[in-house]
Order: sequence, then structure tokens, then C-alpha cells
Amino acid sequence: MRPSVEEQLLGTCRILETVVAPAVAEPFARTILDNLIANLRMVTEALPAVPGFLRWDNAATLSLLQDMRSALPSGLAANIDAALETAENDMLESAAQTARNDLLRALLAEAACNPDLSPDLHRAIQDHMIARASRVPMRYVPSATPSSTRS
Amino acid sequence: MATDAQETDAITGHVADGLAQLVRHAIPSARDIQFTGLTRSAGGLSRENWSFDATWNDDCGFHMHRLMLMRDASGTLLKTERRREFDVLRALEGSAVVAPAVFWMDPDGQFLGAPSLIMERVSGHCDYMVLNGARPLEERLELAHTFLRLLTDIQAIDWQARGLGSSLGVPAGSPSQIALGEWEAEYRRVQLEAHPELDYVLAWMRRTAPQAHEIVLVHGDFKPGNALIEGTRITAKLDWETAHLGDPLEDLGWITNPVRRREHQIPGHWERAHIVEAYTRLTGRVVDDTALTWWNVFSCWKLAVIQLTAVNEFVSGRYNRVFQTPSWLFRPMLQMMERAA
Repeated sequence: MRPSVEEQLLGTCRILETVVAPAVAEPFARTILDNLIANLRMVTEALPAVPGFLRWDNAATLSLLQDMRSALPSGLAANIDAALETAENDMLESAAQTARNDLLRALLAEAACNPDLSPDLHRAIQDHMIARASRVPMRYVPSATPSSTRS
Repeated sequence: MATDAQETDAITGHVADGLAQLVRHAIPSARDIQFTGLTRSAGGLSRENWSFDATWNDDCGFHMHRLMLMRDASGTLLKTERRREFDVLRALEGSAVVAPAVFWMDPDGQFLGAPSLIMERVSGHCDYMVLNGARPLEERLELAHTFLRLLTDIQAIDWQARGLGSSLGVPAGSPSQIALGEWEAEYRRVQLEAHPELDYVLAWMRRTAPQAHEIVLVHGDFKPGNALIEGTRITAKLDWETAHLGDPLEDLGWITNPVRRREHQIPGHWERAHIVEAYTRLTGRVVDDTALTWWNVFSCWKLAVIQLTAVNEFVSGRYNRVFQTPSWLFRPMLQMMERAA
């Protein structure tokens, strides 16, 4: 399917940079436009990695929750069991992966704050969080103009 | 269809009209009010900054001032109160802390459409990265010391004598727990999805929050980017909208926060240990490293919440810059927690 999604996004960046940006004289609007273009480039690069990231994160989060299960209150443990038993139907579909990710991360948010976790579980939680942070495909794009004259 | 230039002219016209109404409201005898050079600058993530020169006549005679209008942006990173900044700037007048004189306030946007403040336009240059810019090391080190001296001058303000207890509120309890409560409320207000990392760090901060040994005036966003500089002299400290009374380690934790080291530190010359040593020399306060690390973690967490505010505002269609979930802050927070354990 041509132009591909990536080609369309990159082409849009190119047109914004070469045609639109030079015509935007107002400094504030230009700063906004520069930031939007930089972000669009980041999204273009990150987009292909999103499905793989979600699959990895869902598997890793579920595995961690299973390890934590016995240290958690019964209600929360039951919710983890329910998540485990939910059939992973049509997991190739992005929306389903995203919905499962939302569910698992909500369970982890609750489980990780439990006051009775062992040092080993704390270690496992921190390792998971650090590993996940290093894999997140979408990255913050710093402001294009960090310095300004206010005088 | 209106062009960009026509739309800009229309917005500028609305701002000029609002300013004139505000001046007439503040000074009923004002006449011949004129504004020249009214332009919006590109800087300012939370507010629109407009610079202009104002002249008018009133019962006291002719007036001419270089002024700056700070107006809340339609979507903003920080939900703040103009009155807080107005009160702090008024209280700082005549003190050792360099800050612009404040003229008028439009707290609810009655005249300017959004909460606004008008203050003196102080000369100087704003540079977020001045400590790691092109200047010679000697100059940058001098500036770094000057910034720290300014921070300690702020902490030395007699806030009771200057009436800031009533306007800012004296913390009823531990400043660290109060700060957590305020920022957790903001976190819950803006979060669009679960963030296990932020909840986990929050739970740790709740368990380990330090006690304050003193209550001082805290700037709340102390950084080179919130100051004007001429040579190696700071001409004004700006952006007081998050100022409050709290723990002396809060602002110190903000500037020793490792994720902002490029703004606040100079590798090999002005790092955490140098800053703490100089701070102790200037104030006589012995800094508890574990407590300071807690405030470093808090600084990162607060920064994460500010970014989530931007994400929320962007998704809601009220903010025109794209921010992401601040995953880049998670690792440093977890590492600092481990070090403090």
C-alpha cells in the first residue's frame, strides 16, 4: 500500500518544514510548528515498534503479577486470576493489545503499592519498571527553543 | 478568511483593550493611556508573555514604564493563582531578592480574558542552559554561585514580617507530606491511564517523607530559565506562581535533581557535593543526604505530574504542544530510591 503510513508521515514532515515553516513569521507560532514537526518525526520512527512493545509489556507484566499474586490481598489476587484466564483472542489487533495493557497496568499499579511485599518482589518490580521504561517507543521531544530573550 | 497576520493583529488588539481597561480600573484618573511595542514572546510554557511600553497621565502626573504582561495560556502546564505571585512579588519589594516590581493583577481574567499579572520589564537575558553554555568556565562558576546565593537569599526572607504567612499559608504539618498531598491531587486530576511507576514511587515517598527543621519561602521552580541575567549579574528572579512556605531542602532538591543537571550543574566543578557544601557554608544548615535525596525524587515525580498535566491538556484540545508519558524519569527515581534505602 503506497504511500505507506511511514512515507506519508515523513512526507508530511518534509512539506511542513520546507513549505509551511518558512512562511510562518510569528515567533510563537513558529515555535509551536517546530515542536509539532519534531514530534511527528518521533512518532513516525516509534510507530512500527508499538505492537511489539505492547506484546512484550503485556507478557512481562502478567508474569510479574503472577509472581506477586501470593503476597496480595484476596480480592486483588482474584482480579489477577481473572486477567490470566481471559482468552487472549485476536491479540494481533492493536486495540485489544492496548486494552489488555491498560488492564494489566492498572492491576500492577494497585499491587505494587501493597505494603507487605518482600524485598525480592520490590527488586522484581523495580527491574520490570526500569526495563519497560527503556523500551517505551514514544519519547518526549524537548522544546526546540530552550532559550529565549525576555528583556 | 482571516490571514495569520490579521488574526495576530486582532489578538494584540484584544490584549491592548484589556490592558487599557485594567489600567483605568486600577487608576480611575488615568487618561491618554498608550501602549507601544505590544508583542508576545515565544517563551513561557504555562503562560503567554507580552512585552510593551506604557504611558499615561493621571492625577499624579505623567508615567512611562517598561512592562510585561503574564497571562495564563488557554492550556497550561501549571494550574496556579495569579494572586499568589502578586502577593509574593509585593512582599519581596525592598528585599535582597531581585524580582520585578509588580503593577496590577487581573486575578480572574475580567479584563484580559484569563488570569494575568502586569509587572516591570527588567532588562536581561533568559538562558536555561547558561551554566553549560559558551561562556568561559570561570564566568559560569561565578553565575552558579550567584544563583545559589539568590536561593539562600530567598530562604532568608523574613516571611512572617513580610506578611507571607497569611497570603501563602503556613504549613499545618510536615511540608513534605503537604507537598505530596497537593501534587497527588494534581496527579489524580490529570492522569488518563494507570501509571504503576508513579504510584509505586508515591507510596515510597509517603513511607519515607522527611520532617522539616525550618519553614522558609520556597520558589518552587528555581532554575536559570526563570531568571534574567546581565553579564554575571542576575537582574531578576521570575515566575513566582508556585512559591509557597515549606522545607529549605525543597528548592535545594530541585537544583540537585540529577535529571536536570544540565541546567543546574557544571560537570566536575559544580555538582551535587559542591552545591551542598556551598549551601552549608552560606546558611549554616547541615544537609541530611537522605532527606535531600527524598526531595530529589519528589522533584522528578512533580516534574512527571507536570508533564502528565500537559498530556491531559493536549488530549483535551487545550494545549498546543505534544508531551508524552514521562517514562524517562522512572529509572532515575527508582535508582535514587534504592540509594536512599
